[in-house]
Amino acid sequence: MTMKTFPPLGEISDALVIETSQAAGEPEWLTEQRVEAWRFFASAEPPFWRRTDLSKFKPEQVIAAADAAATSLYQEEDLADQGVAFTTLAQALRSHEALIRQYLGAAIEPTRHKFLALNAALWHDGVFLYVPKNVSIELPLTAVFSMPIPGGAIMPRNLIILDDGASVTFVEEYHSVAASDQAFAAPVTEIFLGNDSTLRFVAVQTWGEDVYHIGAQKARVGRGAALEWAAVNLGARVQHIEAETALEGDGSRVEWVAATFAADHQNLLTAPWLRHIGAKTEGHMDFKTVVKDQSYTTFDGMIKIERQSRATVSRLEEHALHLSPKARSDSIPGLMIDTNDVARAGHASTSGEVDEEQLFYMRSRGIPRDEAIHLIVMGFFEPVLDRIPNDALRQRIAEMIEAKI
Amino acid sequence: MNSDLVIKDLRVSVEDKEILKGVNLTVKAGTIHAIMGPNGSGKSTLAYTLMGHPGYTVTGGEVWYQGQNILELEPDERSKLGLFLAFQYPVAIPGVTVANFLRAAINAHRAEEGKDPKETAIPMAQFRKQLREQMAALGIDESFARRYLNEGFSGGEKKRIEILQMAMLEPKMAIMDETDSGLDIDALKIVAQGVNTLYAQHPEMGVLVITHYQRLLNYIKPHFVSVLMDGRIVREGGPELALELEEKGYDFLREEVASA
Ligand SMILES: Nc1ncnc2c1ncn2[C@@H]1O[C@H](COP(=O)(O)OP(=O)(O)OP(=O)(O)O)[C@@H](O)[C@H]1O
Ligand SMILES: [Mg+2]
Repeated sequence: MTMKTFPPLGEISDALVIETSQAAGEPEWLTEQRVEAWRFFASAEPPFWRRTDLSKFKPEQVIAAADAAATSLYQEEDLADQGVAFTTLAQALRSHEALIRQYLGAAIEPTRHKFLALNAALWHDGVFLYVPKNVSIELPLTAVFSMPIPGGAIMPRNLIILDDGASVTFVEEYHSVAASDQAFAAPVTEIFLGNDSTLRFVAVQTWGEDVYHIGAQKARVGRGAALEWAAVNLGARVQHIEAETALEGDGSRVEWVAATFAADHQNLLTAPWLRHIGAKTEGHMDFKTVVKDQSYTTFDGMIKIERQSRATVSRLEEHALHLSPKARSDSIPGLMIDTNDVARAGHASTSGEVDEEQLFYMRSRGIPRDEAIHLIVMGFFEPVLDRIPNDALRQRIAEMIEAKI
Repeated sequence: MNSDLVIKDLRVSVEDKEILKGVNLTVKAGTIHAIMGPNGSGKSTLAYTLMGHPGYTVTGGEVWYQGQNILELEPDERSKLGLFLAFQYPVAIPGVTVANFLRAAINAHRAEEGKDPKETAIPMAQFRKQLREQMAALGIDESFARRYLNEGFSGGEKKRIEILQMAMLEPKMAIMDETDSGLDIDALKIVAQGVNTLYAQHPEMGVLVITHYQRLLNYIKPHFVSVLMDGRIVREGGPELALELEEKGYDFLREEVASA
């Protein structure tokens, strides 16, 4: 694959950012956004994250993609006649500039930290999905992001917009066949659910072993809308994903499940935030983690029930399974309630080794210990695997998990 | 090879407390053998120990089956030798369906050293047919095949699923630990019939039935009855012993043991 790249980050100037944007024929407002974000990136200190090890990461050497070559889109039917747009964000600037201008950056503030600013400044990969009012798409739409050159970097920017009553399944997949040199991905996904819309969102991270993945995702959920979010995190050397669901509209809801499996020296962090803002919003989170070898995972979750919310229902489950004594999983769940009007809020968490009683039960049926552990781990992740809409992908993920056990 | 299960002077401790204090018992192949005894006398401890539960420490004695001291074998090896335990308290395995679990168990039994597991695995159609038939015979709704094993099952449902597993695995020596508890009378009859059918098909099979109640023994007729009290077998007899216990309770035996 041939792709255009920037020089190493350490050598990029404001002028180059402007020049690249203009050469791509981008509108002026976007060029301005980019250069502003670039200035923030260039001057800001790296974020201090206690649980994400960036000590070996050298951003100034990063060589970022300057076109959308790393973005591949898959759809099984032609959707254009229904008014659906599913294309790269760069392409969509030509057809849907007004929508993009309205929504780009409206969920995730680029100045929250340096790497979000970097994405806002240099993104060229990424997908634009727009589903018009009351249009319902059955088959999943998939965006796959690859690491086209060893040691390269991509900063996909994804914008998912569902108009009122729309319904769709969107899969974003970060996948490298093999990346030997240190590579870097800093994707940002912004999701907007119109009133009474339904989105099944699947985010799969299966990078090779030397990738640093620093990502952000946020969904703003409108009145009566429903989000089903399934995340799978298996790859990368270091992962730092900040994810947020904001239940803004009355009666909006989210079913949020995640499967993380870390092995070797992987350091995988997920920080999911669930904010209840509207009345009668409902959130269910079920986060599953398996750690093995010397790996280290963090669940840094937060449920915020805002002052103006009413009659909220919120439930958080997080469970960690340890397959080796040296592996570590930290869990820092937080609950902030700023209102007296909560219908139900609950939290359950477990962490420990594979249950001996379960193992004995299975072995008493003739199943050898190793295979019993396989079955238990696959069963542990089943609620997440169950949400993956496409058989081939589910199969591939199941195989990756099997191989890791 | 001897297909009797021969327990010799078996001593077992849990967390340094001696529970079985020298159990001697032979379950003959082709017989149904009931064990009765008061709560806490060590019946489940015996069952778990026979199956190889790691929480029970054998401090003395031997258990011979098929020419081996099975105390040296792993639980899965004992299962492959033909041993089966229907649990008093079956464990839930979240995310693993009844069908997948059973298929894994059957395939583990069919696996052979040096052969590709794909070669020895039960053909899917055959498995499905067998499962459907056995579930129907035990009055288990078909939907249970796709449910996660024992998760949210009622007490009675769990017991039926235990017998379903037994019927599918066709053990040579089955231990049933209070399979009757938690069963209503209809379920009890169905479960007993399941066991009797299996026994009729495999007359060489040995069955060790642990129970508190004569009720079950009306349906599964034992050849022998042994009484376990305070970690020892204190009395052996025929089916009439169960009736005597039903009538008199355990106290008369306690007195006998004390005065002996
Ligand atoms: N895992 C364990 N930890 C501690 N004590 C145990 C454990 N298992 C058994 N015991 C103790 O061993 C004794 C025998 O228990 P066991 O379960 O074998 O009795 P039982 O005859 O099956 O009783 P029941 O009729 O109530 O089922 C009891 O005093 C019990 O408390
Ligand atoms: Mg018991």
